[in-house]
Amino acid sequence: MTTTTLDIPAPDFTAPLPPRDGDRVIQFRQALREAMSEEMRRDHRVFLLGEEVAHYHGAYKISEGMLEEFGDKRIIDTPISESGFAGLGIGAAMYGLRPIVEFMSWSFSLVAADQILNNAPKMLYMSGGQWGCPIVFRGNDGAGGQLGPTHSWCVEGLFANVPGLKMVIPSNPYDAKGLLKAAIRDPDPVFFLENERLLADRAHVPEQEYYIPFGTAARLREGDACTLVSFGRPVHFCLEACDELAADGIDCDLLDMRTIRPLDIDSIIQSLAKTNRIVVVDQSWPFSSIASEVVTQVCEKGFDHLDHPPVRVNTEDVPTPYAANLEAAYLPNPGRIVSAVKETLR
Amino acid sequence: MPIEITMPRLSDTMERGTVIKWNVKEGDAVAVGDVLADIETDKATMELESFDAGTVARIAIAEGEPIGVGQLIMVLAEEGESLDDADAATTSDPAATPDDSQDAEAEPAPGEASDSPTARTPATPPHTPERVFASPLARKFAHDHGIDLVQVRGTGPSGRIVNKDVEAVLTRSAGSTSPVAPAAPEPSPAAEAVAAAVSTAAPTPEPSRAPPGRLEARTVPLSNMRAIIARRLIESKTGIPHYQVTAVANVGNLLELRAQLNEQLASQGVKLTVNDFLVRACALAMHQHPYVNSRWADGGGQPAIEILAQVNIGIAIALPEERGGGLVVATLKDADRMGLRQISSETRRLALKAREKGLTIDEMQDSTFTISNLGMFGVSHFTAIINPPNVCILAVGAATEQPIVSQGQLAVGSLMSMTMSSDHRVVDGAMAAKYLQTVTQLLESPATLLV
Repeated sequence: MTTTTLDIPAPDFTAPLPPRDGDRVIQFRQALREAMSEEMRRDHRVFLLGEEVAHYHGAYKISEGMLEEFGDKRIIDTPISESGFAGLGIGAAMYGLRPIVEFMSWSFSLVAADQILNNAPKMLYMSGGQWGCPIVFRGNDGAGGQLGPTHSWCVEGLFANVPGLKMVIPSNPYDAKGLLKAAIRDPDPVFFLENERLLADRAHVPEQEYYIPFGTAARLREGDACTLVSFGRPVHFCLEACDELAADGIDCDLLDMRTIRPLDIDSIIQSLAKTNRIVVVDQSWPFSSIASEVVTQVCEKGFDHLDHPPVRVNTEDVPTPYAANLEAAYLPNPGRIVSAVKETLR
Repeated sequence: MPIEITMPRLSDTMERGTVIKWNVKEGDAVAVGDVLADIETDKATMELESFDAGTVARIAIAEGEPIGVGQLIMVLAEEGESLDDADAATTSDPAATPDDSQDAEAEPAPGEASDSPTARTPATPPHTPERVFASPLARKFAHDHGIDLVQVRGTGPSGRIVNKDVEAVLTRSAGSTSPVAPAAPEPSPAAEAVAAAVSTAAPTPEPSRAPPGRLEARTVPLSNMRAIIARRLIESKTGIPHYQVTAVANVGNLLELRAQLNEQLASQGVKLTVNDFLVRACALAMHQHPYVNSRWADGGGQPAIEILAQVNIGIAIALPEERGGGLVVATLKDADRMGLRQISSETRRLALKAREKGLTIDEMQDSTFTISNLGMFGVSHFTAIINPPNVCILAVGAATEQPIVSQGQLAVGSLMSMTMSSDHRVVDGAMAAKYLQTVTQLLESPATLLV
């Protein structure tokens, strides 16, 4: 027997992506909402559940208006019990539905670790291919601004370690929409990491439907001095750093990875072959971080291209401080990125 | 008592050294014979071994920081001594530590090292560098272009060789290809023979990287070797009152004898070159002209001339461009006591080693007289700059067939021009002339060189 996992039509990733430029400017949260709503209209099996997603329109107003459109069978408020509703979602996915589980914060997903790490990513393997788990877990990741040590988690370093899951960390509204639509259509569990500090960001998002394939980095700046690799919120710090460096005549190749699993290492190596130096900017702790993984793969696959040791810019290796000034100093910031790039050019 | 370890003098021309790698760190226990550091001198990279047991109390200089001979580089605490005490006892301005404050037990006196291998310099024989720090890209690039990293001076962090350092070497060798490669007249057989033994700068032109007919302006950073050549030759040319004396030897008999010997000894793998005869002649002539085999000693305000007992003939060897170019002087020790066959094999060995692996300090130091031979490029004559502390250098041109007038008869002979530059403080013109006369006579009666 099989579940409907196997009959999910894959989106057409060969279609050319619409231009990023335009005047249909919307917020990041609205792009997420459009992605979910479009997929829910297309496929009646898709539904959203989580704390406050229905009547309160989402703690961050991402699902605003969705209850009205799709009704309370598909936009479902849950009790404060992440382990319970994450498990409910996993069961539903195994039986052929396409749940989207919203965590108010990925910090709260830790209490559901057994469900999301032990069940979802391993189900296909443990069932010998009989049950897949086509589910999207999404929510805010990273320091949201004075939320203190326990509510400021960056879970990517922890969770990306697990085989069987996919991980998406978008940095802008355009990518967020195209990637979330692809996540909902994906046959595997997808961990979709948003950032509270980006939700109000505004950018053009095309009217036309599009899907962004996983494992393809976006080159946001072009240069041959140094390769900058980042994802999620720190991409914006990198853009600022690139502008500052460009004023000094230092042009960096900036790659926004967009997905961590799969990781577009080929684009990184290709860029490294041109620049021969690399700085990885990651908003999680340095030890066993995504940056560590990127650097490892760079050493494995691009060793002969290196003219300087790879450099990481992570958050500081301490629990997230509450004080605003300390939190700012703890995060990667443009100044640290500029210094890191210059270090590689010494 | 804490043991102060200072920058040792590892060659007779060494004035400064650089710790390119510390093999110990503060707090490490050290046994006698442990390798403390890799030290780069003006000639090679050598290991510094510990003569004492103890614990590293302080490392006084950072990797990559050049420091004068005799200056403090580290402090060892003796057994039972606390690190802090040892450190405190020696924390007086390390840069001001003069040579003579060294612990005589712990350090060789300058100058002594080169003469007595048992002195307390590194106990192992000097060797060519083993560990070169280079970025992976620089390594691959150098490998792809056949450049030996030993020849490359690193400018990256901690002296690491980065890609642009290798590129600089490549650019330099590509840039200097065309002037070196002669569209020259065919060198004479004699010149070729000399070239076979001595030249490592075989003028094989590489395809030029620049589009034809267009030169490219660029700035090339100095390699270590180039910087040393620049410094020492300026010192020599400006500090030594040079003058030149030229003599021409008729080497017809020599070429004949050489051809004969080579034919007879070919089965034994012997292939004598004109240069081998020249080395032998120059070495033997020293016994009649000891001042040519001497050195000028400043003697701290009481200058003196030191006549030397050993005759060590230095042979200038140009290094191939693909190894970064430059030149080294290989030394044939006790050349006056070597037969032609031995001179020949030793010269060949040193030239090959210089070209392929680099020479050890021991193989380059202690020359008492230098021969520079550009005969293989077809030059008729040239002058050379004295290689200190030598007082003379012989610049040898090609042996070429020329008309000779002898007793009113015109004949064809093979002439070879030799120009000796001398230090007039030591060797006067007549002395140089007499020396060259002896050398000429020996070359013109080559049988005497066989006995």
